[in-house]
Amino acid sequence: MRLRHWRQTRLGLLFVGPWIIGFLVFFLYPFFATFYYSFSRFTGIGNPVFTGLANYSELIHDAVFRTALFNTFYYTIIEVPLSTVAALGLALLLNMKVRGQAIYRTLFYIPSIVPVVASSLIFVWIFQPSFGLVNSLLSDIGVEGPTWFFSITWSKPTFILLGLWGLGQPMVIYLAALQGVPKEMYEVAALEGAGPLQRLRMVTVPMISPVILFNMILSLVLSIQYFTQAQVIESPPGSPGTSTMFYVTYYYQQAFTDLHLGYASAMAFMLFILVLIITVLLLRSSSRWVYYEND
Amino acid sequence: MHTAVTSDSRPASAAGSSESPRKRRWTGRKMGASAGKHIVLIALSAMFGLPLLWMVLTSFKSAAQALTLPVVWWPHPILASNYPQLFAALPFFRFFLNTFVYAAVTIVGVCISSSLVAYGFSRLRWPGRDAVFYVMLMTLILPFVCTLIPLFVMYKRFGWIGTYLPLEVPTFFGSSVFSTFLLRQFFMTIPQSLSDAARIDGASEFYIYRRIILPLAKPAMATVILFQFIYCWNDYLGPLIYISNQSSYPLSLGLALIIGDYSTNWAWVMAGATAATAPIVILFFLTQRTFIQGIALTGTKG
Repeated sequence: MRLRHWRQTRLGLLFVGPWIIGFLVFFLYPFFATFYYSFSRFTGIGNPVFTGLANYSELIHDAVFRTALFNTFYYTIIEVPLSTVAALGLALLLNMKVRGQAIYRTLFYIPSIVPVVASSLIFVWIFQPSFGLVNSLLSDIGVEGPTWFFSITWSKPTFILLGLWGLGQPMVIYLAALQGVPKEMYEVAALEGAGPLQRLRMVTVPMISPVILFNMILSLVLSIQYFTQAQVIESPPGSPGTSTMFYVTYYYQQAFTDLHLGYASAMAFMLFILVLIITVLLLRSSSRWVYYEND
Repeated sequence: MHTAVTSDSRPASAAGSSESPRKRRWTGRKMGASAGKHIVLIALSAMFGLPLLWMVLTSFKSAAQALTLPVVWWPHPILASNYPQLFAALPFFRFFLNTFVYAAVTIVGVCISSSLVAYGFSRLRWPGRDAVFYVMLMTLILPFVCTLIPLFVMYKRFGWIGTYLPLEVPTFFGSSVFSTFLLRQFFMTIPQSLSDAARIDGASEFYIYRRIILPLAKPAMATVILFQFIYCWNDYLGPLIYISNQSSYPLSLGLALIIGDYSTNWAWVMAGATAATAPIVILFFLTQRTFIQGIALTGTKG
């Protein structure tokens, strides 16, 4: 009995082994090393010099860091709920029985597979202040458009629009989830006299709530690490002013431009704590709105 | 146009009507509702499609025509010369080649390691298996910056900076949690009795993995290959950190170069964007089914 137990464990570990090695080398070690570096001054050459909590106390007083935190929250708090509602709404539309539905589904999905650098370039061009399509169309109806990516007030909302354009991934996941809801449930609800909105609220949303939770966590974690599009579009990074200085934008500047590796490590660790808190809060709240079917 | 985006074309109506199919009469009210749906869908299609259409149209204009106000919708003359000019100005073929090599190597890595690991997490029973699996899933929410600096320092010591090794080697050690997860979900749907029968016949576990499970998992492997390819094609952050020499640039970094160097020539910028987008869109049309099934597989059964 003991022997069989051990042989099974050995076999399992043998198969999972590649990941365990990868986890230790590319994950656990660097994670703890980041934590260690965060208490030091380090330029990547020589050894880190232990400085205690200096990096953390500097962070608290760093105005740019606060701006980066604010910009990231701004983007996340608007983007996550908006994209969730929009993706779900589109999935509901695409789940209707309409002629040519396959074409609509394809059209809505394709922007999400456009390479991120390409979609960034497309949006810079469309929202180009003087010759871009959007401002040109706006001027046709007598509206003078803002400078979008180059305006301190409009830069973040424009990034949110760029994010919304590529919500095909969650949309398809919601669509698949909608198709998994048993049809009889709608029939019963209809017999009970539930209207379309009631059916949506009482049947559809509860039935796919685990999928909504999964997608919200994913999109939250991604939003908090928002970086690539801003890095491609804004030059210098973070401009105009500091309006697109996102958390990771500032991290990248600290780590790879200024070589403040200790300081950047402290930022990385703070981000970890932040993501952890937000995920735990979301999971906690989930017991109130997520419905798990008992299999 | 391909037939359906979703594998399941069952007409489930979430908020729709529930009339029996026999009584489908086109009353005025229904026609109105149907037209309303189409108007909404067409308006949304325009919003999703217009940026891509505008990209392609701009790429066939002259630099001057792209900057004409009011906007010229249809390029005249249709100018294809932006593409060869851009490809002559920047080593685009090199960028494509670099991207392909990066994708090919990591696809090999992911296929080998993720299938092995997924097998260990689904076809074998061993104490602690599920706990270890959850640890793996948890790594998904850890921000990449939390490991980046020590990894960079480590790779520098290895002499890997400037090469693709930092992006390739980890894939041989199950770094693609997404692929592992997808394969595990698929492996779990294969009846356990198949493995049991083989075990009774004295087959080794590796034999079962290699000769029975892997051949059955071809559709899931196809999905993994497809997604890994798209991931590499898209990846900007990884190369940004580790690749510095322009001749080693992948497509993503090369594309970002255009806007720095030629930001006044929007026809060129859009030609570059089109060249980077078209292969992926074509690939999508060729592999639609694999694509959508894969997303559904990872998304709904979590």
